[in-house]
Amino acid sequence: MRDGEQVIEVVGTTRRTPVLSVRQVSKRFGPVEALVGVDLVVHPHEVVALVGDNGAGKSTLAKVVSGVLQPDSGLIEMDGEQVTISSPSDAHRAGIATVFQDYALCENLDVTANLFLGRELRELSLMRDGEMEQMARRILRDLTSRIPSVRTPIGHLSAGQRQTVAIARTLIGSPRLVVLDEPTAALSVAHTAEVLNHIERLRELGLGVVLISHNLNDVRAVSDRIEVLRHGRNNGSFDARRVSQEELLAAITGATQVAPVRPLGAVG
Amino acid sequence: MTGSQSSLRGANRALVVETVKRYGGLTQVELTAATGLSPATVSSIVKELLAAGVVDTRSTIRSGRRAQLVTIAHRTGLAAGIDVGPRHLRVALADVTREIVAEQSLPLPADHRADTTLDRAALLVVDLLERVGTSLDDLLGIGVGLPAPVEPGTGLVTVRGVLRGWDETPVVHVLAKRLAKPVVVDNEANLGALAESRFGVARGYQDVVYVSVGAGIGAGIVLSGHLHRGFGGTAGEIGHVQVDPQGRICRCGSRGCLDTVVGYPALVEPLAVSHGALTVRDVVQRAADGDPGCRQVLADAGAVIGVVVAGMAMVVNPQCIVVGGELARAGDVLLHPMREAIARRVPLNQVAALDVVAGELGARAAVLGAVALVLETTDRAVATGGAQDAVDVGEPSGTTAGGAW
Repeated sequence: MRDGEQVIEVVGTTRRTPVLSVRQVSKRFGPVEALVGVDLVVHPHEVVALVGDNGAGKSTLAKVVSGVLQPDSGLIEMDGEQVTISSPSDAHRAGIATVFQDYALCENLDVTANLFLGRELRELSLMRDGEMEQMARRILRDLTSRIPSVRTPIGHLSAGQRQTVAIARTLIGSPRLVVLDEPTAALSVAHTAEVLNHIERLRELGLGVVLISHNLNDVRAVSDRIEVLRHGRNNGSFDARRVSQEELLAAITGATQVAPVRPLGAVG
Repeated sequence: MTGSQSSLRGANRALVVETVKRYGGLTQVELTAATGLSPATVSSIVKELLAAGVVDTRSTIRSGRRAQLVTIAHRTGLAAGIDVGPRHLRVALADVTREIVAEQSLPLPADHRADTTLDRAALLVVDLLERVGTSLDDLLGIGVGLPAPVEPGTGLVTVRGVLRGWDETPVVHVLAKRLAKPVVVDNEANLGALAESRFGVARGYQDVVYVSVGAGIGAGIVLSGHLHRGFGGTAGEIGHVQVDPQGRICRCGSRGCLDTVVGYPALVEPLAVSHGALTVRDVVQRAADGDPGCRQVLADAGAVIGVVVAGMAMVVNPQCIVVGGELARAGDVLLHPMREAIARRVPLNQVAALDVVAGELGARAAVLGAVALVLETTDRAVATGGAQDAVDVGEPSGTTAGGAW
C-alpha cells in the first residue's frame, strides 16, 4: 500500500527511518479544507521547513503533529510506527515538542521554572530545585544561548531571549522532533541570528526539526529541505541548498504546480 | 595560605572577565548570576578591574531599575569586522588591541543577495554596539571580507559570476552610506592571511601563504610582510586553478577548477548515496567522529588542494603555509595528505623546512583580518606614526571609501 508513496521521497531515499512521517492527512473545518492529503517526512538530523501563504495549512499541520488538532483522516508515524496523537501530552510522550507563536511562557516565573513548567522534577512532593537549575544551565549551554542567568524572570527578558527559552523548553524530556511555528517573526536581526543558530544546534544534536516560517531567507539559511503547502495541499518539495527564491515563490503563489506523483495533486 | 587565596581571587577575576566577554555587556546583578560568585565578590572584582582599566561601567536601566552595566573597556574606539561567507555572516567588534568585545554569527541561504545580506550586516553592527553599551560614534570604521576577489576602493567583485548576486554592488559605498563610517573591503582569504600573519600562528614570518578551505578555496599571500593582492585583486584565487581538464564548468566559466572538485557541492556529492544530504559542517563533524567515508572525502580533498598549493609554494616560496576555513577544523585528516602532496612537489631548501600548519584563529580569522585592516588604515589616517609591525597591510590603490578620510 505504501509502495507508491516511497517514490515521492526523492531526497531522503537512502536515509534511516524517518523520525516523523505524516501520510495523507486531511482536516476540514466545515467547508474549509485546511489540509487535503498532506504528506510530510522528517528524518533525524534534518531541518524541514514548511512554507506557504496565509491559510496554506502550515499551522494546522503543526497542530496536528503536536496533538492540538486531530486529523479527519491519514496516518502519523514516529520512527516507522503508527501513533495516535490525540493530545499535546500524547505528542510529548511520542517525543514531539512544539514552540507556538505566542511562546506560552509565564512572565512572573524565572527561566528554570518556565523550562520545567508542568513537568517539574519531584521527589515525593518536593521539587528538586537544584537539579532543575543544573539541567536548565546545561540545556542553555547546549544551545550556546546568551541568557546570563536561569533565575531571571521571563518578564525581564528580550523577545529574542524569550524565544531562546521557548526553544530550550522543548529539550526537556529528550524529544526527537521539534516543531517551531514562526520562530523568527518580529525579532531583530541579532535575535533572529540567535534563533537560527539554535536551530542549527538542534540539528547537530540529531533532532528532526520542522520549521514553519514566512521568511524565505531564514528558511533557506538553515533548512535541508523545504516543503511548500498551498491551499492545504503539498505543492512541491525542494532541496534548500539548490532551490532559488524565485522557484519557491512560484510554488507558494501557485505560478508553478509541482504535481506530486499521484494524480490527486494535478487537480489543485 | 595567602598564595591559594590570591590564586582563587585571580581565577574569579578571570571568570568575571571571561563572562563579560561572552555576553558583551552585563549588569552586576546578571554577572553575579552568570558567574555564581557572591554579589560582594563581583562588586569588589568589578571595582578592581575598573581601576585597572580592564572593564568599563555605566548606568543603565534594567527592568525599570537602575543598574551598572559592565563591559570590556575599549580604548579610543572600536572597529567592526564583517565576514560574508557563502553560507554565513559573522560580525565582530574589536578594540584597538584587536580584542573582540562582541560578536554574532548568522546562517545565510545559498546564493544570498547583496542587498539583504548587507542590510542585515549593518543592523548587526548597530546591534552589537548597543550590546556593549555604546553607539556608532564610537566606531572607527568597518572592514568587510567577501569570498571573491574585490577591488578594494569600491568593494566591487572583480570577477563576474563567482559570487552570484553580488556583481555590481559597490559594497564600500552601500555600507558607508548606511553607517556613515569609513569602509574597507577585501577578499576573505586576504584578510585571513593578514590576521594569521599578524597575530595568529604565522606571526613573525615574512612570507606566508594562507589557504582558506571552506565552501570554496582561496588563498592570501603575504610577501615580505605585505599583503599581495595583485593588479586586479585576484592573486591567490587558487579555487580557479584547473585541476581536471575534463571536469565540470565552474561559476567563473572555466572548466575543472579546484572549486568544482573540492568546493561545496562537489565535496558532499560523493557522500549523497551512502550518507544522504550533508553539509560541509556535517562532513567535518562526522570525520572527527571517525566516519570512514567522510574521512576519505576530506583526505582526497587535502591531496588535491595540496597539489595546487605546492605549485603556489614553488612560485612564492613562503616560510609557512597556514590552512584555515571551515574544513581546517578537520585537522590532520585534511592536513596530512596536504602536507604529503606539498612535500612531494616542493624542493626542500636548506634554510628551513616549509611548515604546513592549521590556523590559530579558526572561524574568526577573516573578521580579525577585517578589524586589523580598519585599524591599520585609520592609524595611517590619523598619522600616529607608530612603528609598523611585521606585516603591513599593503597599499592598494585607493584603499578607502570616498574622499572622506
